[in-house]
Amino acid sequence: MKRALYLLVGALGALVLATAATGAASETGVTSSQVLIGGTTPLSGNASAYQSVAKGAAAYFRWVNAHGGVNKRKIKYVYKDDGYDPSKTADKTRELVQQDKVFAIFNSLGTEQNLATRAYLNALKIPQLFVASGATTFGKDYKQYPWTMGYQPNYRAEGTIYGRYVAKTNPKARIGVLYQNDDYGKDLLAGLRNGLGKKAKLIKSKQSYDVTDDQVQSQVARLKAAKVNTVMLFATPKFAIQTFVYAQKLGWKPRVYVNAVSSAANIMGLATAGTSKKQTEGSISLVFLKDPTDPKWKQDPGTRLYRSIMKKYKGGNPNDVYAVYGMSVAHTFVAALKKAGKNPTRASIMRAATSLNVKNDPFLLPGMTVHTSKTDHFPLDQAKLQRYHNGHWVSFGGLFRVR
Amino acid sequence: MGRRALGIALWVAVVAVILVAYAFAPRLVSDFHSRDLAEAGIFFIAIVGLNLLTGYTGQISLGHGALMAVGGYTTAALMVHEHWRDVWTIPLAGLTAGVVGFLIGLPALRLSGLYLAMATFAFAVAMPSLLRKFSGLTGGGQGLRMLEDAPLQITGLSGTVTIFGHSMTQNHFLYYLAWGIGLVGFLIAWLIVRSRVGRTFRAVRDSEVAATSAGINLAWTKTFAFAISGVYAGVAGGLLATQNQIVNPLTFTFLLSIVLLVGTVVGGLGSLPGMVVGAFFVEYLPDVSTHVSTAPGVPDFVYGAAIIVVMILLPTGVGGLLKRVARPLTTRLYLRP
Amino acid sequence: MLLAFDWTQLAQQIVIGLASGGVWATLAVALVVIYRSTGVINFAQGEMAMFSTFIAWSLVHHGFSYWGAFFLTLAISFAGGVAIERAVIRPVERAPVLTVVIVTLGLFFVVNGAARWIWSPETRSLPNAFSTRPIDVAGVAFSISDLGTIAVSLGAVALLWVFFRFTKLGLASRAAAVNPEATRLVGVRVSWMLALGWGLAAAMGAVSGMLTAPALASFDQNLMQPILLYAFAGAVLGGIDSPLGAVIGSLLLGVLVNLLGTYVDWVGSELRLPVALAVILGVLLIRPAGLFGRPVEQRV
Repeated sequence: MKRALYLLVGALGALVLATAATGAASETGVTSSQVLIGGTTPLSGNASAYQSVAKGAAAYFRWVNAHGGVNKRKIKYVYKDDGYDPSKTADKTRELVQQDKVFAIFNSLGTEQNLATRAYLNALKIPQLFVASGATTFGKDYKQYPWTMGYQPNYRAEGTIYGRYVAKTNPKARIGVLYQNDDYGKDLLAGLRNGLGKKAKLIKSKQSYDVTDDQVQSQVARLKAAKVNTVMLFATPKFAIQTFVYAQKLGWKPRVYVNAVSSAANIMGLATAGTSKKQTEGSISLVFLKDPTDPKWKQDPGTRLYRSIMKKYKGGNPNDVYAVYGMSVAHTFVAALKKAGKNPTRASIMRAATSLNVKNDPFLLPGMTVHTSKTDHFPLDQAKLQRYHNGHWVSFGGLFRVR
Repeated sequence: MGRRALGIALWVAVVAVILVAYAFAPRLVSDFHSRDLAEAGIFFIAIVGLNLLTGYTGQISLGHGALMAVGGYTTAALMVHEHWRDVWTIPLAGLTAGVVGFLIGLPALRLSGLYLAMATFAFAVAMPSLLRKFSGLTGGGQGLRMLEDAPLQITGLSGTVTIFGHSMTQNHFLYYLAWGIGLVGFLIAWLIVRSRVGRTFRAVRDSEVAATSAGINLAWTKTFAFAISGVYAGVAGGLLATQNQIVNPLTFTFLLSIVLLVGTVVGGLGSLPGMVVGAFFVEYLPDVSTHVSTAPGVPDFVYGAAIIVVMILLPTGVGGLLKRVARPLTTRLYLRP
Repeated sequence: MLLAFDWTQLAQQIVIGLASGGVWATLAVALVVIYRSTGVINFAQGEMAMFSTFIAWSLVHHGFSYWGAFFLTLAISFAGGVAIERAVIRPVERAPVLTVVIVTLGLFFVVNGAARWIWSPETRSLPNAFSTRPIDVAGVAFSISDLGTIAVSLGAVALLWVFFRFTKLGLASRAAAVNPEATRLVGVRVSWMLALGWGLAAAMGAVSGMLTAPALASFDQNLMQPILLYAFAGAVLGGIDSPLGAVIGSLLLGVLVNLLGTYVDWVGSELRLPVALAVILGVLLIRPAGLFGRPVEQRV
């Protein structure tokens, strides 16, 4: 298997070098005035709400370009539609590499979608930077895929945090898990088990649902029937809100741990409005971004910058926390590009990306550092715990490592 | 003598044009673009098969995307689990899908029209879940990635493919493979349509009651039509897997079945040449829609609007238009003096 | 063993099954209406219902009272259904059935895309028409809105029955669907009957959307897509030309899917839909026209 990859690397690498050796020996996708990067994102179909990750990043790059760019070059960011279909992702990524000749693949969205192109990009030594997915593999498997890097705190680590916290603060809990039956949900569940360690038998019931389901009332009822008093909600916003609503309907008020994907203030607000302040009181979650729908960040300079960029450069709906994520990852890319030197190459930007130490990201929680090293391919691995109190998130404790 | 020779000369000219177009099309576009052409060829194969079932035999199938899944996963599984070379899996991909098509055709014996459509619809809707469940074979939600798990089985891994001493890029190879099989499949379909089997298909389409009275075995005909269209879908699915080097449940959702049906109807039910246009339509429409604007919702809106407009302007598809245009030509040619 | 079995849980799952089936039933009735009055399966019915839900939300957001918004949305949806039929279906009225089916597929994308463009993809909520106060009977919980949703479906079925059976318009509509040529000869404007069918179906779809959104606690542009699937299945199970069958089929489907998911481990959450569809297929093989459908007889 490895031998074949070396074969591919050899032949295609030679092809790539041959086409890149154009006179001034400048890197593919880099000219004296522009750096061309590309990625895939769902622009059509029913995952198309996630396109704000790309659009937020694009707006940020436009702002950077308007302020001189990076080392006198503008960043041109091209994103193509894959309709959330990994086969299309493979096709469009090839197009970006072979036809558009991008410098690097950046901010492509989706776990299966990025897995589809990882071997191809690594064989060609093309950076697959800041994959928009919380799957642990993108940071963990760097030995096999050194050109790939994730960005957000990964799901398994998040689950581990919740597990450790419950084991420490409520060792007699009866835990029930509602999880989406794909990698996202299963990663969170695996992390939970990991964090609970010897106390894994506190998990009394595991209920899964499919993303194409309409509702999870049945699963919630089963959790209640198992006499669970702590619910791990590893579900997307639609089903997270439902969990609160159906629990109330069943006359049940467990302590709920809401995974970060569903913890945005506007989502919790809908859950509270649909039930009561009491029902959502005491919920626990992780946070690492400045949530634009959370009133506590209203006057924050980082959030104001975010809103002004969104408005001026048409980034889309400013209440969309995915757009904040997009700006943060774009901010980190700019830092890496700066560090890659006056004449960036693919190798130099990977070196930069694996030695990041960015402290001033305006869109992340204060005090957070975007940090990577040769053995640490997890740029964001800090978060705060927060508790939902009287209809707002209140963070407690300090920043800690999400590992 | 004049008329007959003219007819033959016309056919020879048409075939020559097709072969020249086939051979030289990749030169007209960039290397990568041959992939898009190849994908159009893949759709072409699938909708020729679907046309045999729906256009000629009158059976509606909303599940041919799932049959493509069968073919695609057969290819992937053979490559990853049994280490078959990608191109050699294609016939088996077609065969497996043909068998599944036959099995789907069995309810056709009891169900008619709408209810048959619902049965095929159910199959299409269930396919991603089935693919996820039997993960030992299918790789579950992550699917199978041939570049990682079966790279040696990929033709053109190094970027070039050499056939009979002739060397070409992998992208060109995919194009020639897809359209080569497409032309052969077209020929076979054309022969079927002109044969007694084809007439049996049309009899079943036009009136099941009359066909039964004429002694036609409805059961055999319908299941055969399902099976043969399944073979085409399976081959197309296998080619798709070969080209993208990956299979995943998200590729084979109900949307794919819709795309195939749209391609068939736009191309023209009961018209084989129209399928070329149908294939290009479904291949390029998504990109065109995204080019209009990437504002949320606009690509989907343009996509749907294009389909509606085409159907309103050409209710019998491009094939219907072709028939209307070609009729004066062909009838005059074959009229006996 | 009988005592160890959790009967309350069984009863609760059945009740939940009826509640979710009740939601599907509302859309299933709309599908039956369009099928009976036009002979076409409208793949865009769910998206039209979703669009109506957004209209209702906008009205509420702009200060309308809930019931004001509700009835105004009904009226707008009815008009919208008629408009769609005139604009997009009428040109292909005489085309083969599959052409019309493809047009409804195109409509699916058009309506979905329009909803995404007009309203941003945020998660929103719609107030409930009925009280959501939980009621507990012998340890089994449900709410008035569950009952209300089923009641609305049954009410719609009753209204449709009266309409199609006893009113001139309803009879003309049925005739137009069954035999357009003969109906034209009698002087009925068949074209407008089809438009009426689309309007009614759209209005019923609007009701469905406005009940589904609060039942599912939140909504966005993807609201009705899973519902459409289940509604089709329920309508087919009950017989695609029977409104009552659609309701009963949907309720049965809801209970079946929930019980399978709860008690058959192997089915879990991945296979509950395929298994349910397989069951429906099984039923169809025994009763090819569905439980309450009228069998089509063919004499050879």
